[in-house]
Amino acid sequence: MPPRFKSIETRYYEQRADLWRGLERLDRRGFLKVSLAAMGAALANGVLHYPHSFQPISIAYADTGEPFRIAYISDSHLYDKQVNDRFVRQLLRAVDDINALDPAPDFVLYGGDLAQLGQAKELELGAQILKNVKHPVRMMVGEHDWYFDLGEKWRDLFGAPTYSFDHKGVHFVVLNSVVEKDFWTQRGMSPMERMQTVAGLDNGIQSRFEVGEAQRNWLKNDLSALSSDTPLVVFSHSPLYKYYRPWNFWTDDAEQVQAILAPFHSVVVIHGHTHQLLTNRIGNINFHGMLSTAWPWPYAPEGLPALTVQMNRPNPFDPNDGLGDGYAEIHPRGLVDKVYNLWNRNPIEVSRAYMSSGGKKDVPPTPSLVSY
Amino acid sequence: MTRRKNRAARSLMLAALLVVTGSLPAHGFGPHRKDMPAGQLASHGALSADAQMQQLAALLPERDVTRPPPAVDPAMWALIVPTDNAMTPERIALGRKLYFETRLSADNTVACATCHDVSRGFTDQRPTSEGVHDQLGRRNAPTTMNAFFYEDVFLDGRVPSLEEQAKFPAINPVEGGLPDHAAMVGAIAGDAGYRKLFRDAYHSEPNLDDLVRAIAAFERTLVFLDTPFDRFLAGDPAAISEKAQRGWQLFNGKARCMSCHMMNPSNPLGTDNRFHNIGVAARTQNFEGLARKALAALGEEGGTQAVDELALQTDLSELGRFMVTKDRADIGAFKTQGLRNVGITAPYMHDGSMRTLWDVMDHYNKGGEANPFLDGGIEPLALSPDEIDAVVEFMFTLTDQRFAKQNEEERAAQKKIAGERRPFRDDDLAFRRVLPFERRVEPSPRED
Amino acid sequence: MNRMRVTLVTTGLLGSVAALGAFIAFSRPASVTEAASNDLVVQLCDNETTITLAADTPRNRENGAEIADALMSQWKRKHPESTWVEEEYEKHVIVPPADNRHLIGKSQGHTYARITERDIATWKRETVKFVADGSRVFHSADALGSEIAVSCDMCHPDAANTHPETYPKFQEQLGRMALLRDMINWCIEHPVRGTPLAADDPKMRGLEAYILAQRTGEKLQYGKR
Repeated sequence: MPPRFKSIETRYYEQRADLWRGLERLDRRGFLKVSLAAMGAALANGVLHYPHSFQPISIAYADTGEPFRIAYISDSHLYDKQVNDRFVRQLLRAVDDINALDPAPDFVLYGGDLAQLGQAKELELGAQILKNVKHPVRMMVGEHDWYFDLGEKWRDLFGAPTYSFDHKGVHFVVLNSVVEKDFWTQRGMSPMERMQTVAGLDNGIQSRFEVGEAQRNWLKNDLSALSSDTPLVVFSHSPLYKYYRPWNFWTDDAEQVQAILAPFHSVVVIHGHTHQLLTNRIGNINFHGMLSTAWPWPYAPEGLPALTVQMNRPNPFDPNDGLGDGYAEIHPRGLVDKVYNLWNRNPIEVSRAYMSSGGKKDVPPTPSLVSY
Repeated sequence: MTRRKNRAARSLMLAALLVVTGSLPAHGFGPHRKDMPAGQLASHGALSADAQMQQLAALLPERDVTRPPPAVDPAMWALIVPTDNAMTPERIALGRKLYFETRLSADNTVACATCHDVSRGFTDQRPTSEGVHDQLGRRNAPTTMNAFFYEDVFLDGRVPSLEEQAKFPAINPVEGGLPDHAAMVGAIAGDAGYRKLFRDAYHSEPNLDDLVRAIAAFERTLVFLDTPFDRFLAGDPAAISEKAQRGWQLFNGKARCMSCHMMNPSNPLGTDNRFHNIGVAARTQNFEGLARKALAALGEEGGTQAVDELALQTDLSELGRFMVTKDRADIGAFKTQGLRNVGITAPYMHDGSMRTLWDVMDHYNKGGEANPFLDGGIEPLALSPDEIDAVVEFMFTLTDQRFAKQNEEERAAQKKIAGERRPFRDDDLAFRRVLPFERRVEPSPRED
Repeated sequence: MNRMRVTLVTTGLLGSVAALGAFIAFSRPASVTEAASNDLVVQLCDNETTITLAADTPRNRENGAEIADALMSQWKRKHPESTWVEEEYEKHVIVPPADNRHLIGKSQGHTYARITERDIATWKRETVKFVADGSRVFHSADALGSEIAVSCDMCHPDAANTHPETYPKFQEQLGRMALLRDMINWCIEHPVRGTPLAADDPKMRGLEAYILAQRTGEKLQYGKR
C-alpha cells in the first residue's frame, strides 16, 4: 500500500518515472501531452521551469529563490612594496571596490597569483591587504604563488590549496590546477630559478599545467556524493580547457577533468591566469575568466574561444586599463551572470542568457580596438 | 549717442556701487583683480564693455578673416569652421556686438564678456562665475581664447560646437537668467542696429541660430598662439629659459603631461579632447550616491538643458561628463583643459579650487585623489620641488606675448602665494611612501 | 681504495635530455678527498667539475649520456654566458630569420654575387645572436633598468601586441609622431619605469630586432591604430 504522505523526493521520482515511461510509447501528439503534463507538474511543485528546453524537473536542492553574489579579485602579482608600489596600489583599489559593493557579496574569491615570485614577504603583504576585505575570502593558488617553495608558505598562510564547500545549495570546488611536471630537477635549478622560469608566461622550459591524477581522483571522490542536479562552481587558476599552449593558457588533462564534471547539469568554471575577459562553453560547462589587478595579457594569436567577445585593447598610458575585479551572480540551477568590473570602463556582463543561447542573446558590446 | 553712453556709464557705476555695498559674493571679486580704472567697472567685477572692446581692438591685428589665421594649420582650420558659418567681417562684427551684449540677461548686467572678460584672460579669474542677481554657479569659466580648437564645448562637453554653447548661458538661471530662447532673440530683435547687422551677416531677421553662429564666428577670431614657447619650437633657443626647457622635457617625460595635454602643430591647444577623472571632485564627494541621484534626476527627460541647469546649480555638477554620457568611466570626469595662456587663467580645475599652478602640480604629483573612478593614468609622479618649478615655469611660457605683462604679474603673484602655502602638497603620496588607496582601505598607514 | 677517476670528454655527448633524477642529486662538485672508498668520481675535462657515482654503476651508453648531461648542467651553471644564445632559444620561441640558402653557389661570375655556405652561416649566426640578445633584454626587468621589476613580456608575451608594422604613426601617448623606437622608449619610461635608452644603445637595437623578428610576416601598414 503506497504511503499516504509522500515526500517531495518521492513525488519527484514518481513523476519522472511516469514521464520516461510515457515518452517511450509516444507519437508526436502524445509527446506534447506528456511535456505539458510535466510542465504542469513542475509548476504545481513551485519549481522554476524553462520552457525553451525540455528538461527533467529538478528539485534536488532547496534553494529556488534569490540569486546570490560572489565577488572576486585575482592575479595581483605583488612584489614587495618597496620594489613595486603600482601593483600594491592596484590591489588596494580592488579591495576598495569590493568593500563598496552593494548588495554585498556572500564571499570573495581570490583567484590566484597573489605574489609575483612566491616570496614569503609578497604573500604576507597580500594576506595583510586582503584582511581588509569586509567579507569572507576564499583563497585559490596560482603558479606564481607556488613554484618558489612548492606551496609551503601558501599552506602556512591559507591552508590546503584543494578543497570544496557548499553554499546555498551550490557545491564549490577549489582546485590547484597549475601542477607542472618536474622540469627543474634535471636542470639543477635553484628554487628562484624555477620560480622565474614559471613566472615567464612565454618561457618554454616549464611544463604545461595540469590538474594531475591525484587531484582528479580527489575530485571524483568529492563529487561522488552529489546528484547530477547539484549546481557546481569550480574555481581554477588555469582555464581547465586548451586555449593557447605556448602561454600555458592550457590544462593538459582538461578533457579528463571535463569528463569528471560532465555528468552535472550545471557546471561553471571560473578561472584566473589569463588576465582578460574570456568566455567559453564546452558541452555543459561554462567557463569564465577573471580580470587581473596587475597587468592585462593580450588575446592569444590563435585558439580564442568562439564565445569570447574581446574587451577593448588596453592603453598603456593607463596602467590600470584592462584590469579590475568583478563578481558573479549565481542563480538557482547554478546559472551565472558574470560581471567584469573593468576599471575606468563600463562594466561588461556575460549573462546566463548569453551562455545558454550559445552567444545569440545579450551579446556583450563589440570591441573597437582589438588585440592584433 | 553720447548721452546714452553717459547714462550707461552712470548706471554701470551705480550697479558697481550696489554690488560693492550690497551683497558681496562670499569670495568677493576674485583674489587677483587688477586695479581697474575708475568709472570702468561693470557688473560682477568685469571691465566695462567699451573698455574691453578697446583692449580687444588693440589685441587683434587687422587681417583677412576669410583666410585661416597664421598660427593654425589650414587643413585643421577647414575642419574647425563649419560649412554653414564661414568667416566674414560682417558676421564677426555682429558676433562681437553680441559677445558684449548685456541685454542678453534678465537684469541687463550679464554678457558673455562678463565671465569671459578680455582684460582677465578672457575668463573672469574667479573660482566659479557669477551671474544675474549675483548668484554663483558651480563651475569655473574656461577661457574663450583658442576655444575653437575644442571638439566638445563646456567642461563636460555637453555640446558639440561653439554655436551650440552660446545657446545656454543666457537662459541659465544663475548666468543670464532669461526665461527661454525666444527672450534671447526678443532682447535684441527690436534694435534696428541689430536688424541691419543680421541682414548683412546672414541675410535674415534676428533669430536664434544666426545669433549663436555670429557669436561663434567672433570667438573664432580669438587666436592667441603667439607665445615664447612657439618661438622656441620655431628654432629660437633663447626664447624660453633653460628651466622652462627642462620643464618641457618633463612635460613630455616624467611628468606624463603630454598624453592628455596633447600639443602638436595640428592641435596646439594642449588637450586630447577627452574626459578624465583626476580626482578633483573626489575630495568632498560621494560619487556612487551622486551617480544614482543623477540618473533619477535626469530620468526620462534628460537633455542638454537639464544637464546645463543641474551642472551649474547642484551637487550633481561634480559628476562631470557622466551626466552627458551615463558611462561609468565618465563619473567625475571633466574635459582636459587646454594649456595655452594658462598663466593668466587662474584659478584652475572645474571648480576653480586651485589658485596656483604649483597647486595643480602638487595635485598631480601625489596622484590625484584616490576614488573608485580615478583615471588609471593618474599616478604618483615623484617629482622633486625643482622639477615642479621647471614644469610651472614652462607653463608660464605658454601665454601669448601680447599678455606678457599680465603673465609676469600673475607669475609673481602665484609664486608668492605658493611660497606661503601649498595646500595640496603631499610628499608621502608623491614619493610613494604611502599609496593613494592605502588611506581608503587601511586608514592607519602601516609602518614599513 | 676502489676509487677511480674517469675523465670524460663531453663534446660528443652534449644535448642528451635523459631524465637524470638521482644522478643530478649527486652532482655537487666533490673534492677528491671526500669520496668514500667505493665511489666512482667522474670528472669533466676542465679538471674541476665532478660527479660522484656508486662504483658498480654499469658503464653503458645510457648512463654515459646521463652522466655527461649532469656534468654539463653543472658546468653551464658555473659559466652562464657560454651558451646564452642556446639557452635563450630554449626559454623563448623566437621566429627564425629568413633562409638564404638558395643563394649559395650561383654567382654569374659576379664577385658580389658569390655567396658561400660560410656566408650564410655567418649571417644567420649574427642575426640569431642579435635577436637573442634583444629577447634577453625584453624579458629582463633588470636589463631594462626597471625600478618596479616590470619587463616587456609582462604585457607583450612573445612580443604580442607590439605592432611594429604600424609605424610611423601618431602615437597618442607621446602626443606626436613616433617610430617604433620612440614607443619602446616611452614604454620603458612609463609602464616599466626605467630610464629611456639612447637610440643607438645596443639594448634598444636589440629590443627593436626582437620585436621585428617576432612579427615576421605581418603586413606593413603605417599609421594604423
